Amino acid sequence: MWRDWLLRAAQLIGSIVGAVVLASLLATLSHPAHGLWPFLTALCERIFAAVRGDFGLSSVTGVPAMASAIDMMSFTFQLLAGGAVIALLIGIPLGILLSASRALRAAAPLIQIIAATPVFVAALALIWIAVRVLHWSGISQASALSWVDLVRSDGWSAALQAFALPALTVGAAGAASVQLSIRRAAAVAWSAPYRSGLRMMGLGALDIDLHYALPEVLAALLRDLGEIALALISATAVAEWVFNRNGAAILFLKSAALGDWNVSAAALFLFVTIALIASFAGGIASQLIVPEDRP
Amino acid sequence: MSDAQSLLRIRDFTFAGAGAGKLKIEGFSLTLDAGGTLTLLGETGSGSGAVIRLLSQPIRRGVNVSGTIQFRDGPEQQIGGRIASGVRTAYLPGPHANVLNPRASVLSQLSLVVARKLRQPRTSATAELALVLERLPGAPTLDVLDNPPALIAPEALATGLLAAAMAQTPELLLADDPLGELSPAHARALASVLKAEQKRLGFGLLYAAARADAAKLLDGNLIVLRSGRIVEEGTVSRLATVQSHSYTQTLFRASSPDERQAPDRSVARGEPLLRVQGVQLLRRGKPKARDSLNFELRRGASLALIGEIGSGRRSLARALLGLDPVASGRIVFDQVDIGVLNPAMLARLRRRVSFITGDDDALDPRMTIFDTVAEPLRAHLAMPRDLVAHNRDAALKRVGLAALPGNRTVASLTPFDRRRLQIARAIVSQPLLTVIDEPLRGLDAFAQSVARDLLRNFRSNEGPAILFITSDFGLARAFCEDGFVFKEGRVVERGPIATLLRAPQDPHTRKLLEAVAALPIGEPSSPKPAMAPVESRSPDPI
Amino acid sequence: MTGTAIKIANPASQSRIRTIISTIGLSGVGAIAVIVALSNVIARVPAGAVNAGPPSLAPDSHYAFGTDVLGRDVMSETVHALTVTFSSAVLATVIAIVIGAIAGFAAVRAPLRLGAVLRAVSGVLGALPVLLLAVVGVGLAGHDFAAVAAGLAVSPAIFNRSFDRAIALARSRHAEYARATGIPGITLLRRDLVYEVRANFINVTGRALASTTIVLATLGFLGFGAAPPHRDLGLMIAAARPNYLDVWWPALFPAVTLTMFILFARLAAALDEGEPP
Repeated sequence: MWRDWLLRAAQLIGSIVGAVVLASLLATLSHPAHGLWPFLTALCERIFAAVRGDFGLSSVTGVPAMASAIDMMSFTFQLLAGGAVIALLIGIPLGILLSASRALRAAAPLIQIIAATPVFVAALALIWIAVRVLHWSGISQASALSWVDLVRSDGWSAALQAFALPALTVGAAGAASVQLSIRRAAAVAWSAPYRSGLRMMGLGALDIDLHYALPEVLAALLRDLGEIALALISATAVAEWVFNRNGAAILFLKSAALGDWNVSAAALFLFVTIALIASFAGGIASQLIVPEDRP
Repeated sequence: MSDAQSLLRIRDFTFAGAGAGKLKIEGFSLTLDAGGTLTLLGETGSGSGAVIRLLSQPIRRGVNVSGTIQFRDGPEQQIGGRIASGVRTAYLPGPHANVLNPRASVLSQLSLVVARKLRQPRTSATAELALVLERLPGAPTLDVLDNPPALIAPEALATGLLAAAMAQTPELLLADDPLGELSPAHARALASVLKAEQKRLGFGLLYAAARADAAKLLDGNLIVLRSGRIVEEGTVSRLATVQSHSYTQTLFRASSPDERQAPDRSVARGEPLLRVQGVQLLRRGKPKARDSLNFELRRGASLALIGEIGSGRRSLARALLGLDPVASGRIVFDQVDIGVLNPAMLARLRRRVSFITGDDDALDPRMTIFDTVAEPLRAHLAMPRDLVAHNRDAALKRVGLAALPGNRTVASLTPFDRRRLQIARAIVSQPLLTVIDEPLRGLDAFAQSVARDLLRNFRSNEGPAILFITSDFGLARAFCEDGFVFKEGRVVERGPIATLLRAPQDPHTRKLLEAVAALPIGEPSSPKPAMAPVESRSPDPI
Repeated sequence: MTGTAIKIANPASQSRIRTIISTIGLSGVGAIAVIVALSNVIARVPAGAVNAGPPSLAPDSHYAFGTDVLGRDVMSETVHALTVTFSSAVLATVIAIVIGAIAGFAAVRAPLRLGAVLRAVSGVLGALPVLLLAVVGVGLAGHDFAAVAAGLAVSPAIFNRSFDRAIALARSRHAEYARATGIPGITLLRRDLVYEVRANFINVTGRALASTTIVLATLGFLGFGAAPPHRDLGLMIAAARPNYLDVWWPALFPAVTLTMFILFARLAAALDEGEPP
């Protein structure tokens, strides 16, 4: 098992180094050098600088690019975390219910429709419902409020309104990934031959589910953590745009639109690192719960 | 049998599987005495296994069953409703039955089963299991069982499953052919342990068997089933004789074929096809000390590599084909030293090799029947289409698969059909050398009988040299003139099969021979084979 | 004897369900293709034609989808935008299939461990959110290359799946037996390609089409997609956004059209709805 962990850690480090190279390549491409050799030299310089945390300066504000990205990361992290919580709270029970109950499988077409809805369409629909049905105001206006403000006695309602919809948008996108992961794993676990075998040997269905099926489903969910993180990050980018919130994702989009590639590269690197760490942590946790067959 | 002693009585049991062509069991009745043994013998689709499995678990709603069941002197209950058994029942599957979670430790699963059945904490259940394992001869330790099923040898797993069943101190044991896929030696050993436990605990044993070997090992009473109906019932000793129904006789003959007839000698032998000089095999990357081999295999000759799983016979076969490196020595195949060949040239050489194996994964499940047989013709011989079709159809006809649609995928075939398909593929390959690896594994009695005939037919018509990997001396004698006996990675004895049968020197050879009950040991051998035995220099000291 | 209990589900019936779902999806995509082909007939006015009707008119018998703030017929605009989205999505899908699926499969047999290197690179690219990767592509190459950028952004995930599948096939027991009997690598590759394409072409293509459509529509919504007057569905929704709380129809109908297109692509792929693999 230690060997497997070391291998995964080496893969993580290799991937992060790859992400550094990618970010440096992006920043170098945006300032094209004349000739291959100058390009390669510029790229190497960028890579060495990036390893030291220096992603250059913003061409718009003149501020260090990584510092800009990290400053804006605070809200993005909150949105990602809030979205992840909602994704798990909705996705896990939904996935289990849909895989366990034949009757509820009839709801599968509805799930297909929801899964086919782009994030920005879902966000606009939520805004419409919030304003027209719930009579919330100021949903799409720029707001610095975050989940921290939810615990304040005054203004928690405003904070709820400011934070809830973006988090719900991100969470809904994540929930689609979570429930799909659960259902795939549950379908395999529910139809495994050992279920009937262990029943014949004298175990009850509940015992089999608790000791074997559910851990396998949970392990599969953890293995897919990287994919779920990617879905959440993409949804966060759209949510910040639609709800006009200042986070690293909207910074990335605006920088890309303005050609400020140093900042874009820095923000992109941070997002990739989040996804890679989620994938790594999920893989390790999954191995702890159910050791995988390795080739 | 008096009713007062009966442990289990089933009357007019009827079961109908869903859909056309599904299993139907009609009007089936049995009585099992306390301490008695009743074997349900039948090939695949007979219903013998289904009866055991239906009795082992609550019957789902909507399953079409009827009949009555009675335990001891209890009331008759309707099968299909909620049954109060009143007797302690345990289920004993075979090691290849996929009843356990492949990722979890066998020990943890068996402990959980025992804990639930005995209504004890798991620690107590593990202790019970340990006590039983100590009692059973040749049983694995708890450490060995504390691994996923794939990492445990089948015989150890089979003993572990038996220990779990015995820890429940059952009054009724439902055995789903646990001896079926073990090698003859291990099956014999496990059967004797099972009988000793039965004597000790006094449980009734209801055993589902696909082959008569298990019935002979367990003795007792026998019910012969065919297509869900009882053909005959009686004691094993009576039904094993010529006084039984012809179908019963066929089942018994299939498990004990007359192996006295020497292999066909229809192919003239010539130059050595395979020459092995001073080859030392590698074991876990290191040379196996004192295991230097020298022998020749001529065209059309046959060599059996006999031993249990993990004994080293497959390692030798792989080394001879250049699939694995050797520590030292030289292997010459068809006049070519394979040690000097690059991978591309080695691949060309292997075109004259075919495989027939009991491994169900040997064929690509996505391919169709036609494509599977035609591929060697297209890839190796670049034949025109009509000639490919002609050869393909002829091969399929020979193995009895011509009636199946050619566009059926391998995945949809039964293990028996896949085995025949492998033979058809080997036929069209026109090989110089065929490696046959446990070809009858997992097949029921009839299928084995047909498969043997097809292999004999293949050998006599195509005449390749044969490397036969098996743990069954009976099979080795049927197909090969010479043999190597393997144990723990080394050759412990070698020579003509007839000599090994007549005068086995090594205790392991004797053990393997004893496991095949039909073969007399130490008696005069069969008439001398028509062709000279394989030349072999005296081996280096083992 | 391999003991299995009385069967729970019939794999043949599950396969039938997937075939039905896939047929529905393919029919839907086909219907959209027909609409796109006949867009100039179905749409009453050319793309971007302002003042075709009164501004912000609600749907009625004459303007089935209503008009927007500039008096554009929303139904005609939706059809034209669907044409742009469909064409871009098809192009992006072709790029994704070629660079993703086919290259992924072939890379396993590339010499000198090139395949492993490509897999490592693709693994890093696959760790990037697809949308952000597409934004980078558009930012560097320009809005005119949005379809190419979307196709390239979706490729790494498809490449990784294809590569991993090809590796699993190459290491399978049946491949080992085939190699042991001298079946050449090219025959095994042909065998894999033929059977994988037969079994998975529609699935992979449908999946890629759904992914590229979502990416392209989101790019359009964020302003990174097709530039006006060649509005795609995403840009059309973005344009309707300032007033949609009151004038909802210029946003609703393109949104429903977009969702239906993605839904049909997913159905065509018979995308896993929890059925065992």
